Amino acid sequence: MRFELTAYKKSFRKLFIATVFLFFFIASARLCRVDLGVFQQGIFEGLSFLSEMFPPDVAAFSEMIYPAFETILIALLATVFGALFSFGFALAGAANLSSPWLKTISRFAMAAERALPEIIIILLLVAALGLGPFPGVVALAVGCLGMLGRLYADAIEEVSPKTIEAVASVGATKMQIIQYVILPEVLPSIISNTLFRLEINIRLSVLLGAVGAGGIGYEIFYSFQLLEYERASTAIMVVLALVFLSERLSDYLRKKIATGGKLS
Amino acid sequence: MNALVIEKKFLPFEKLKKRVTVFSVFAIIVVAISIQLDFNPVLFFTEGHHLVNLLGEMLPPNIEVLWKRSNVFTSILETLAMAFLGTVLGGFMALAVAFLAANNTSPSSLVRSFCRLLMSLERVIPKLVMILVFVIALGLGPFAGMVTLCISTIGMFGKLFADAIEEVDVEPVEALYAIGANKLQAIKFSIIPQVVPSFIANLFYSFDVNLRAAIGLGIFGGGGIGFEIHMAMKMLRYSDALALILFTIVLITFFEKISDVLRAKILKSETLS
Repeated sequence: MRFELTAYKKSFRKLFIATVFLFFFIASARLCRVDLGVFQQGIFEGLSFLSEMFPPDVAAFSEMIYPAFETILIALLATVFGALFSFGFALAGAANLSSPWLKTISRFAMAAERALPEIIIILLLVAALGLGPFPGVVALAVGCLGMLGRLYADAIEEVSPKTIEAVASVGATKMQIIQYVILPEVLPSIISNTLFRLEINIRLSVLLGAVGAGGIGYEIFYSFQLLEYERASTAIMVVLALVFLSERLSDYLRKKIATGGKLS
Repeated sequence: MNALVIEKKFLPFEKLKKRVTVFSVFAIIVVAISIQLDFNPVLFFTEGHHLVNLLGEMLPPNIEVLWKRSNVFTSILETLAMAFLGTVLGGFMALAVAFLAANNTSPSSLVRSFCRLLMSLERVIPKLVMILVFVIALGLGPFAGMVTLCISTIGMFGKLFADAIEEVDVEPVEALYAIGANKLQAIKFSIIPQVVPSFIANLFYSFDVNLRAAIGLGIFGGGGIGFEIHMAMKMLRYSDALALILFTIVLITFFEKISDVLRAKILKSETLS
């Protein structure tokens, strides 16, 4: 008898979940104004639009090299500054190094930043500082905090307390503990996480370019606005190559580090 | 006799020399890039007052905007709907593609490599390009944003699912084949039950990712709260913008926590947060 009851309850629960799910699904579809007619028409419009993008404007290729270069540089610089800045927060946010209240503040800052999309940071910075690579670098560097700060802090917390105690017991100061115990131990994970972030930053740098950081993202956005679609497709090709290569490179280096390759 | 010979590269002086070289090369590169980009870190301190000014104009946040203007409420719902629908539709399409792309369930190796290629190609296309194209094809609004999220979910999670399917326990599958099941039956009774928990857990994660992305897409014509923030900034309604930004932070944190809890419950492991 009891078995039947559970079976009944189970199917009731399934039904309940399905109903709630269906409700959200339909409500979302209404809100998003999903319309299959529009979609069908959109396919044709999209295809005819894509045909306007071909062939890519080969002549514009040489104009794309510098913006692409700029995008990479923004991402690189932001990753370097962001990593340094995140490491500072990570030291303050690791339970085994800092005081409880400092840890709480630092962890809170990281969590708040993680919830703040980079694109909003750059909107604020552009409003305050104007257009150009400067707000781009700052936005991406700040954007590192939420992810890298937390990953670094977690890595620092995983350092064996015995090693720290051993060094502390012979009279090492906090700086010395950081230099001789923490840093060597967390360096591989720091490097591999930073490389991963670099890859993300290159993608983001393209996106932020469109709202005012310059670089290849700006070229794409601007070409779309000027209806120069062939030029836009050249820029898109360059971005595809850029993202693909950065993904491969970062994958390769990270694998090398994970397998204990000699790097650093 | 066994003389103690230390290799040259382990001598303290050589070690220091190596470190100094690495550090100075690194420093030179950073400085060169900074010069190239006109990036002057000092600027951050000298121009800091602009940021303070902006903050001064933003404070106090005009929280009332969240309920006084009805279109703000709608746009919040739009953002959530975009992320939800993008995750659900994209997730199921990702699952379908994943079955075609996993070597133990794919009908043929040709289909498999084609699907894998499609997914990796899709992963390198920036969302910026997708939203620009979809806005032209489908018009401004959350529909274009939703389709973008849908497609990026297929690229990102299709590969994850395909890898999960390839990693299933082979023994139950073989057992089913041994008692005469065909491929579809083996998939239905052995592979699907094995991958469903990780599939659902990943969907919750995907919702998190899509919610953040939905805000960014709003700025380029995807509608929703991102668009409202962009408009508020453009019209210099800074205190409204701050209220919306703060609300976005709360929203994202809230859904991150919920999805963490549900994910942990589904995976029956320790919390992921």
